[in-house]
Amino acid sequence: MEDEVVKRSYHTRSRGGKEKLVQDTVFSDDSLVTDDEEYGDIAPDIDDDVLDEEEEAELKESLMQANAPAPQVNPLLSRKSKKSSSSSRSAAAATAGSGMNHNLAAKDDILHAHLDDIPPDFEPDVVSGMFKTNDFSYLKLKPDHASRPLWISPNDGRVILESFSPLAEQAQDFLVTIAEPVSRPSHIHEYRITAYSLYAAVSVGLETEDIIAVLDRLSKVPVAPSIINFIKSATVSYGKVKLVIKHNRYFVETSQADILQMLLNDQIIGNLRIDTDAAVDAAVKKTMANKMVDAEGVDPNDVEAVFSAVVGANKELEEEDDDIDAVHAFEIDNASVEIVKKRCQELDYPVLEEYDFRNDRRNPDLDIDLKPSTQIRPYQEKSLSKMFGNGRARSGIIVLPCGAGKTLVGITAACTIKKSVIVLCTSSVSVMQWRQQFLQWCTLQPENVAVFTSDNKEMFQTESGLVVSTYSMVANTRNRSYDSQKVMDFLTGREWGFIILDEVHVVPAAMFRRVVSTIAAHAKLGLTATLVREDDKISDLNFLIGPKLYEANWMELSQKGHIANVQCAEVWCPMTAEFYQEYLRENARKRMLLYIMNPTKFQACQFLIQYHEKRGDKIIVFSDNVYALQEYALKLGKPFIYGSTPQQERMNILQNFQYNDQINTIFLSKVGDTSIDLPEATCLIQISSHYGSRRQEAQRLGRILRAKRRNDEGFNAFFYSLVSKDTQEMYYSTKRQAFLVDQGYAFKVITHLHGMENLPNLAYSSARERRELLQEVLLKNEEAAGIEAGEDNDSYIWKNGGNKRPRNKSKAVKSEGSLAGLAGGEDMAYLEYSSNKNKDLRDHHPLIRKMYYRSANK
Amino acid sequence: MTRARKGTLVQCDPSIRALILRMDADRNDIIYEELDDTHLLVDPSKVEFIKYELNRLLSENIYNPLDEEENA
Repeated sequence: MEDEVVKRSYHTRSRGGKEKLVQDTVFSDDSLVTDDEEYGDIAPDIDDDVLDEEEEAELKESLMQANAPAPQVNPLLSRKSKKSSSSSRSAAAATAGSGMNHNLAAKDDILHAHLDDIPPDFEPDVVSGMFKTNDFSYLKLKPDHASRPLWISPNDGRVILESFSPLAEQAQDFLVTIAEPVSRPSHIHEYRITAYSLYAAVSVGLETEDIIAVLDRLSKVPVAPSIINFIKSATVSYGKVKLVIKHNRYFVETSQADILQMLLNDQIIGNLRIDTDAAVDAAVKKTMANKMVDAEGVDPNDVEAVFSAVVGANKELEEEDDDIDAVHAFEIDNASVEIVKKRCQELDYPVLEEYDFRNDRRNPDLDIDLKPSTQIRPYQEKSLSKMFGNGRARSGIIVLPCGAGKTLVGITAACTIKKSVIVLCTSSVSVMQWRQQFLQWCTLQPENVAVFTSDNKEMFQTESGLVVSTYSMVANTRNRSYDSQKVMDFLTGREWGFIILDEVHVVPAAMFRRVVSTIAAHAKLGLTATLVREDDKISDLNFLIGPKLYEANWMELSQKGHIANVQCAEVWCPMTAEFYQEYLRENARKRMLLYIMNPTKFQACQFLIQYHEKRGDKIIVFSDNVYALQEYALKLGKPFIYGSTPQQERMNILQNFQYNDQINTIFLSKVGDTSIDLPEATCLIQISSHYGSRRQEAQRLGRILRAKRRNDEGFNAFFYSLVSKDTQEMYYSTKRQAFLVDQGYAFKVITHLHGMENLPNLAYSSARERRELLQEVLLKNEEAAGIEAGEDNDSYIWKNGGNKRPRNKSKAVKSEGSLAGLAGGEDMAYLEYSSNKNKDLRDHHPLIRKMYYRSANK
Repeated sequence: MTRARKGTLVQCDPSIRALILRMDADRNDIIYEELDDTHLLVDPSKVEFIKYELNRLLSENIYNPLDEEENA
């Protein structure tokens, strides 16, 4: 025991340990209800709080009762252990606290920390052993637990909410602020408290104590000390360090000299700080370039002053923050912003990026306002209120379902900030949509809007304005044309008030992440419907952009009629015997072709199309596989669009689909996943898809969420996913649905389509036809099974995924030649062997290759 | 001379039948008789083995979100 205590108190010497020691003891004792005396002391305070704030009289009463019987814990047990335990436990709690300070990944820490929280007088019962580390029975249920809707896992901060409880609605509002929604089906919701979500909570003005108090009020059991520690450690240091942009240079600022010292002494950050001399040089150059530097008081002196830990006054910040008169800052390089932000989070001093746009007089205002006719929906307003909570613009991410008006949220935010705006999106189609929406919803003049794509390279001539571009244009590092380099210099050379990142989930991709730091913007807003990636980079967004500010509840929106109500179904199509036998024999890629071309699936598709066309639905059929797309569409006599369909034909087909009664079904490859906006469509059928991509599933569903008819009485949109039974497809299908299931969608499984056999002119109804199809499929080479190289950014991820088969080309070529020959004296042509990506793509005809190599070998 | 053998009748989907046929392909000691698209006559002593193998093969096609969490 003694050894244990000594060992632990050694740990507590680390930063922040002592202060915590005191608080934690109090809190752990209180919430564990081990000691009747201490509980008695604290209980009335809590009760008072509750009485003041609690609105529901019913719960108030039950709370009063709750505190009466609670102290009847076995006094003997607790008293016996009190002396020995209190010291060791407080040390333990402090260890947990400081441990968490060091590592922000946090989840693991909670996991270990909670083991120390088990009170020494806790006697495991007979079944405890079965739960191993997951036995939380030492947290006693409150007597009125039935009326409280929450339970928080001491292990990992997972919050389980009974969404049928009368208190659920308030609880949900609260939880969305302090935790991240994980899964929200109809009855039980799951949230997770993470460090990032807590930062977001603090930045909207919630106090640490409030968070804990409310959680304790809603929770069925006392909130575990591990959770309380975690909340404290994550919230206590938030906002102490700021990242500000001045004259296009990044500064890390803090009001406390010791924090600055700590950051500078850190190995990673210290090295990234721009050297004082260099900084002075740079600053002097800047002074020449920009006369405003002197006037504003951002100067090399500041950096020097900070270095010698002398208080340097900063005029600008004095104006802004009354309570902070001294600011310490050092400069970092644009390129290292990302690393510094990440490191600061690891150090538990996450950088705050707020933009006080009202007081920013250096950047010219943009004349932009919402048109009076523009109406904002309640949830859009709510999401924006999280962003502009304290009158400043906070960087972060807003998650809204497809079709719920993300664009308008972005536009409204831009109208609030009223500074130069840059919008980045994923394709040139959405560039045009953003531009058009800006002109439609707000008073921005067309001459202030510039578009930067491969076709249009514009700059606005006024002193402030809007630029819309794509990630790939801005992220491109290869040689640019003169025009585009000029625009790029324009983009990187100035300071932006606000950057909107559409489809922000693409940003963590290696290609695009540098975009965030190349363009200097005071506030960043990420928009997406599907904040998921199949790799593990999604959490990078926390330091690339900022915390998730708001995530809408899909089910709630569809109940209120903002998005369509969708019935989801997974249709199981049994493989025919012949197809399945071949399936078992073939390799993975060929298997895919077989389960997509399964005749039963084809029949199901045909049946569903006929059924829904009769009901008057407009149907979109999705297939990732182009071969299947063509086969299906041609056989059924329906129009189809895929990557190589010319633009004119696409427009023609889409317009016919919208306005022509005769065309009720179209087939789309994955080019239709995003950015094709068809409000007429009310039914989706999916016949092949991109493996287990959850995002694709959600995005496809998004195509019918904005259905025009959504507000009709009893209207339902339909989403069918056709799956071949007993194949790999079943696996992917379940995986794909995970995201939508988390949003509360329920997939019905249809094992048999009633009446399918009796359908007139049913395709492949005879064994002979099926055999012919099988022959045809088997003759197809593997390439047909491949997925179309898409236009969107999925394909980048895909290529990095390593599915591309390596080409066995040797890089070096040995050949003999005379000196004169090598010098060009003989009739030998100069050939370049460096591998050019363009050449790789374009393989030569075998005949040409043969001749080419022969001449090279001569 | 006629020979009598005890067999177990298996009734299944065509796809399951294909799986059993495949199991039988490299050992030839499971199936006595292929009756039709949905019926097979098999060796009674191999029934447990068939069940086990089918479970194994079919579970490859089932996605279990908990698996991933545990591995992560």
